[in-house]
Amino acid sequence: MNQILIRHKWEPYLWLLPSILLMGIFVVYPICIVFKLSFSEISRSGVVGEFNGLDNYITAVTAPEFGSVMLNTLIWVVSVVGISTLLGFIVALVLNAEFVGRKIARSIIVFPWATTLVVQASVWKYIINYEYGALNNTLLNLGVLSQSVNWRSTYVVDFIWECGIGIFVTVPFVTFCVLAGLQSIDVSYYEAATVDGADFWMKLRNITIPLVRPSLTVSTVLNIIYVFNSFPIIYTITRGAPAHKTDTLVTYLYMLAFSEQRKGPATALSVVGFVILCLCAGLYMIVTMRKEGDE
Amino acid sequence: MKKILALALALIMALSCAAFASAEGEVTLDVIICEYGNNTRDWFLGSGMNGTNFVDLFQAANPDIKLNLEVVSWSDVHKEVSTRISNGSAPDILNIDTFSEFVADDLLLPVKDYCPDDLFEDFFPAFIQESIIDGTVWAVPDLASARALYYNKAIFDEVGIEVPTTWGELKDACQAIQDFYAGEVYGIGLDLTEDEGQATFAYFAWGNNGGFTDENGEWALNSDKNVEAIEFVMDLIKSGYANPSPSTQTRYELQDLFGAGKLAMVIAPNQLPQYLAEKGFTVDFVTADIPHNEGATGSSVGVMDRVMAFKDDSAPDQAARNDAIGRFLKFFYDPDNYVGWVSMETFLPAVNSAVGALVESDPSFEAWLNVLANCRFYPAANAQWADVRNGVVVDVEQRALTGEEVRPLLDALQTKITGK
Amino acid sequence: MMVRRRNLSALAAALLLIVVSAALLFLPVYHFEANVYTKRSGNTFVGDERYQAARAEIDAMVADYTARGIETEVTEEITERVNSKGDTTSLIVFKVNKTVRCSGWDFLKTGFPSSVLLKIMLGLEALGLLLALAGCVGSLDVLWRDLKGFARFLRTSGAALALAAMFLSVIFVLYTNVIINRQISLYAAGVAPSPGERVLAAADALIYQGAGGEDTATLLKSTSSSVIWTWWLQLPVLLGLTLCLTLVRAGRIDKALQRGLLYAFVVVVCVVTLYPFVIMFTSAFRTDAEATDINFQYMFPVNWMWGNLNHILSRGVLRYLLNSLILSTGATTLALLCGIPAAYAMARMRFKGRKLFMGFVIMSQMFSPVVLLVGISRLMMNLNMNDTLPGLIFINAAFNQAFAIWLLRGTFVSISPEMEQAACIDGCNSVSALIRVLLPMAAPGIVTTLIFVFINSWNEYTISTVLINSDVNRPITVGLTQFAAFSMIQWNYLFMSSLLATIPVVILFMLIEKHLVSGLTSGGVKG
Repeated sequence: MNQILIRHKWEPYLWLLPSILLMGIFVVYPICIVFKLSFSEISRSGVVGEFNGLDNYITAVTAPEFGSVMLNTLIWVVSVVGISTLLGFIVALVLNAEFVGRKIARSIIVFPWATTLVVQASVWKYIINYEYGALNNTLLNLGVLSQSVNWRSTYVVDFIWECGIGIFVTVPFVTFCVLAGLQSIDVSYYEAATVDGADFWMKLRNITIPLVRPSLTVSTVLNIIYVFNSFPIIYTITRGAPAHKTDTLVTYLYMLAFSEQRKGPATALSVVGFVILCLCAGLYMIVTMRKEGDE
Repeated sequence: MKKILALALALIMALSCAAFASAEGEVTLDVIICEYGNNTRDWFLGSGMNGTNFVDLFQAANPDIKLNLEVVSWSDVHKEVSTRISNGSAPDILNIDTFSEFVADDLLLPVKDYCPDDLFEDFFPAFIQESIIDGTVWAVPDLASARALYYNKAIFDEVGIEVPTTWGELKDACQAIQDFYAGEVYGIGLDLTEDEGQATFAYFAWGNNGGFTDENGEWALNSDKNVEAIEFVMDLIKSGYANPSPSTQTRYELQDLFGAGKLAMVIAPNQLPQYLAEKGFTVDFVTADIPHNEGATGSSVGVMDRVMAFKDDSAPDQAARNDAIGRFLKFFYDPDNYVGWVSMETFLPAVNSAVGALVESDPSFEAWLNVLANCRFYPAANAQWADVRNGVVVDVEQRALTGEEVRPLLDALQTKITGK
Repeated sequence: MMVRRRNLSALAAALLLIVVSAALLFLPVYHFEANVYTKRSGNTFVGDERYQAARAEIDAMVADYTARGIETEVTEEITERVNSKGDTTSLIVFKVNKTVRCSGWDFLKTGFPSSVLLKIMLGLEALGLLLALAGCVGSLDVLWRDLKGFARFLRTSGAALALAAMFLSVIFVLYTNVIINRQISLYAAGVAPSPGERVLAAADALIYQGAGGEDTATLLKSTSSSVIWTWWLQLPVLLGLTLCLTLVRAGRIDKALQRGLLYAFVVVVCVVTLYPFVIMFTSAFRTDAEATDINFQYMFPVNWMWGNLNHILSRGVLRYLLNSLILSTGATTLALLCGIPAAYAMARMRFKGRKLFMGFVIMSQMFSPVVLLVGISRLMMNLNMNDTLPGLIFINAAFNQAFAIWLLRGTFVSISPEMEQAACIDGCNSVSALIRVLLPMAAPGIVTTLIFVFINSWNEYTISTVLINSDVNRPITVGLTQFAAFSMIQWNYLFMSSLLATIPVVILFMLIEKHLVSGLTSGGVKG
C-alpha cells in the first residue's frame, strides 16, 4: 500500500491544478496556435491571412530540400544518440572503477554538460577554423602537424563535426545516468560471479548491462528528445549552409520561420515535427505502460 | 497545500499583470534602427554624439513626442519586425533594407503623408526612384554604400600582374597568384552566405549585362547572361581561386583575410579602409572597378537602406502622428546630426545637404559620390524581392556549390518566383 | 627458483633493449629540407632576359654558398599557362635546396636543444634498469607481495622511468618539429621573435655543419623537418623495456597493462573534454588581432588582456547575467512549486485520470519549445509578455514541468509512505505530511530536479532569441551573440563573456556532482 488517505474525491485534482494550468497555458495553447496557423496563409511581413487548407504542408513537403533535411535529422539523431550512449556507457564503466583522481575526472566530465550549447558551439567553431583556428594552431605548436589542415573542407565534413560536437555535449549526461545505475548494483553480484570464474566480459553481459538497462533506456529516450530538438550547434556553425545540406528539421524550420520569413511552411513543418515526436512518445508510452503492467 | 496553490496563483497573477502602461496625451513613436556597427547603439542611445546621444537631443528639442528607439542587430531585425507585425504592434518608424513586402500587405504610409517637402526635395532623386511602387514613394533612403574591388598592392607587385578589369583578366590574375604562392594566398574573396550571397550574384550578373530583372523591370533570373555569370563564379571556386568555404565565410571574414594578406582581392563597400584601420591591419591596398565580362559594361554596385513609416489606425490623432514622424525625419536628416551619423560608419549620404560637410571633412568622399552616381541598386521595389534575394543565395549559388547544374537551378527559381 | 629465473631473464632482456635503443641513435632518423632561397619570376620564359637575370642570380648564390662549404641543389619549375587572351604566360620558380639526414648522434653532437630529451631518455633507461637491479639485490627471488617497502619503491621507480623514457621518445620528435617548423621558421618569416642565438647556432650546425654564420636565419627560412620511420623503432624497444621492468616489479604484466590502459583512457577523455575550455580561457585574454592571427599564436596570450573583461562589462554582460539568474531562479521556483504537488499526487494518490495525466506528462516531455516557437511568440504577444523576463520564466517552467514531475515522482515513490501515513493518523493533513515528512526525506531528489531545471533554463537559447528583443531583458545566452553575429565575430569578447556565463554553472555542477548521481538513482532512473 503505497498511498495516503484522500479525504475528498476532488483533492488529487487540486494538487494537479497548478501544474495543469502552467502546462495548459504555456505548452498546450501554443500547440493549438501552431496547428491553426499551419492551415492559414501568412504573408512575408507577418500578416496572418485566410484559411488555406493544406497549402502550407504541400509547400513544405515538396520543397527540394525537404528530403535531405529529413535524412539529416535521422542521421543526426541516430548518430549522436547512438554514439554518445556507447561512449557514455564506456566512460561510466571506467569512472566507476577505483583509481587515483577519480573524483577529479568525474568533475571534469560534467564540464560540457554544464556549458551552454551556444558557447560550446562557438568555441568549436573557433577551434576548427582553417585560417586561424585553435586546433591547427595547437597541433602546429605541438609539432604534430607541419602545415595547417582545412578541417571544414566540405559540407559533409561540416556535418560530421556538428554530429561530433553533439556527441561531445551529450556524453556526460549518459555517463551520469549510467553511473547512477551502476552505483545501485549490489557488489555481491560481482563477487559471486568472480567466485564462479566469470571473466570481465561475462560479468558485463550478464550483470552490468541488464542492471543498467533502465538507466540506459531513460537516458536514451531523453537524449532522443534533446538531440532531435537541439538547435544551437548547427545554427552556430553552418546555419544549414550550403542550401540546407546541413540542416535538421528544427534548424530548417527556424530558418524558414525567422530568416526566410516563410512562417506558413514553417508552422506546417512544426506540426510535422510535432507528430514525429508524438509517435516517439507513443512508442515510449507503450513500452513503459507495458513495463508497469508487468510489475 | 492551499498555501502553495495560493502562492503559485498569486505569482501567476502578479507576473501576468506586469504589463506596460503608456502615458496619455502625447504622441509616442516606436522606432527601430538597425545596428550598422559597433558605434550605432552608442550614437543613438549611449554617449556617441559628443557625450550625449540622439534620443536625448531629440527629446530635448521635441518634449511633446515620446521616442521609444530600439537598436536591433541586423540578424534579428527581420524576425522582430515580422513578429511585431503579426501581433499587430508594428513600429511607427523602421529603418531596414527591404520594403516591398510591407507595401504588399498595405502596411506603410506613403512618404508624402508625413515627409516635409523641403526634406523630400533634399533626397537624391535617383535614390527616391528606388523606393517607388506603382507611382507612390513608400520609403526614404537612409544611407548608402558603394562596392568596389580592393586589391592588395604588395601581392600584385610581387607577382608582377596588373589589376584585372575583365573576367578573363580576373582569372589570369587569380591563376598567377595561385601559381606564385602555391595556393597559400587566395585570389578573390567570394561570399555565398545568406548574409551577402545576393551581392555576389549582383557583382557578376550585372558585370555580364544580366541581372535580377530585364529592362522592363520583370524578373529575368534565368537569362543566359546570369547562367554564364554564376557558372563563372563556380568556375572560380572550383579552380581554387577563391576562399575555400564560400558558403560559410561571410564578407567580414573575407575582409579580415584581406587585411591579413591571405586574400589578394575582395569586393567590399567603401567602409573597408575604416574597418581595416580599426582592426589594426596595415595592408597596402588600392581600389578598382569590379571586373566585368568582355563585351559587357561594368557597373558599380550600391546598397541602400531605407526609413519607412507604418500605418497605425489605432492612433487617436493621425495628423499629429504624421507630424511627429515628419519632425523625427527632419531632426534625423538635419546636417548637424546626419553628417555625424553617416561619417561615423563611413557611409555615403542620401541627402544633398550633407554632401558639403562630408566632402570638407574627407576629400576621398567625393570619389565615392561619383561611384555612387553610377551605382545600380537591388530591385527592392519589386514585390518578391525578399524571396528572390534568398532564392539566388540558397537555391542557386549554394546548390551550384554542391555540384548541381546552374541553368536548371535558375529556371526553377524563375518558375518559383513568377509562377511560370 | 622460478621467480629468480624470470627476474634474471627480464633484467638481461632490459639491458639488451637499452643497448639496442642506444644503437638506434646511430641510424639516420631525421630528414631536413631547407629551402635556402626561392626565386619566383612571373612572366618569364626559358631563355629570355628575365630568365637569364634570375638564372645568373641563382648561379651566383649557389657559387657563393659552395665557396662557404654549403652544398646545395637547384631546381627549376616552369609553369606555363595559356591565359584568357590566348597568350602564353609562364612562371619560373628556382629553388635552392639543402637536404640533410641526421642521426640521433648528430643531434647530441651539435647540442640541438631537443637533444637534451635524448640524453634524458637514455639516462632514464639506464637509471630505470639500475633501480630495478637495486630493487632486486638480495630479493631476486621474492615475489612482489612479499617485498619490503624500499625494494618495492625501487622496482616501481625502475618501471616508471622506463615508461617516461618511452614518452620522451615521442616528445623528442614533437619538440624538434616545434623548433624547426615553428620557432625558427616563424622567426625567419618575421612573425615571431628570435628563439635565441643558441637555437639558431645549433640548427645551423645540424643542417649546415656550422657554415651558415651570419645568414643562419635566412638559410633556415623555410625549413621543414620530418622524422624518418627508423626513429619509431625506439617505441617498441622502449615498450619492451617498460614491460620487462614491469615484469620484474610485479611479477605479471596483464594487470599493469590494464591499469595503464585505464589511466590512458581517463587522461585522453579529460584532455579532450578540457580542450575547448582551455581554448576558451586563453582566447578570452587575447587581443582581437591575436585571436585571429593567421600566422601563429602562442599557447598562451602574449599579454593577458584584462581589459577585455572591462570591455564586455561595459557592454552589459553583468545585466545579462543578472537576467539569466532571475530567469533561472524564477523558472526553477515556479517549476518546483507546481511540480511538487503534482508529483506528490501522482506518487501517493489513486484517482481517475491518473494514467491519463501521466501520459500527458510523458507526452509533453517530447514537446520542444523550438518546434512551437511561432505559437509561443503569438501566445506571449496575446498575454502582453513578449520581450519580458516573466514570459521567459513561465515558458521555461512549463517546458521543464514534465521532467520535474517525472523526477520528483520517482523520488517520492522510492520513499516508503509509512511515515506520512503515521503522521496522517496523528492528525496531520496531507499538506503538512508532505512538507514536514516527505520533503526532507526527498531532499536529494529535489536538489537534482532543481539543478536540472536551473541548468536547462540557464542554457535556454532559442526561445529567448525569439522572444527577447530589447537589450535590458536579454539573458546571457542571447547577450553573448552580440559578440558573435554570424557575420562579425569578436572571439575574445565572446569567450570572455562565455567564461563569465560558464564558470558559475560549472562550479555548481562540480559541487553537486555526488548528489547528482544519488539524485538520479533515487529519482528518475528507478522510477
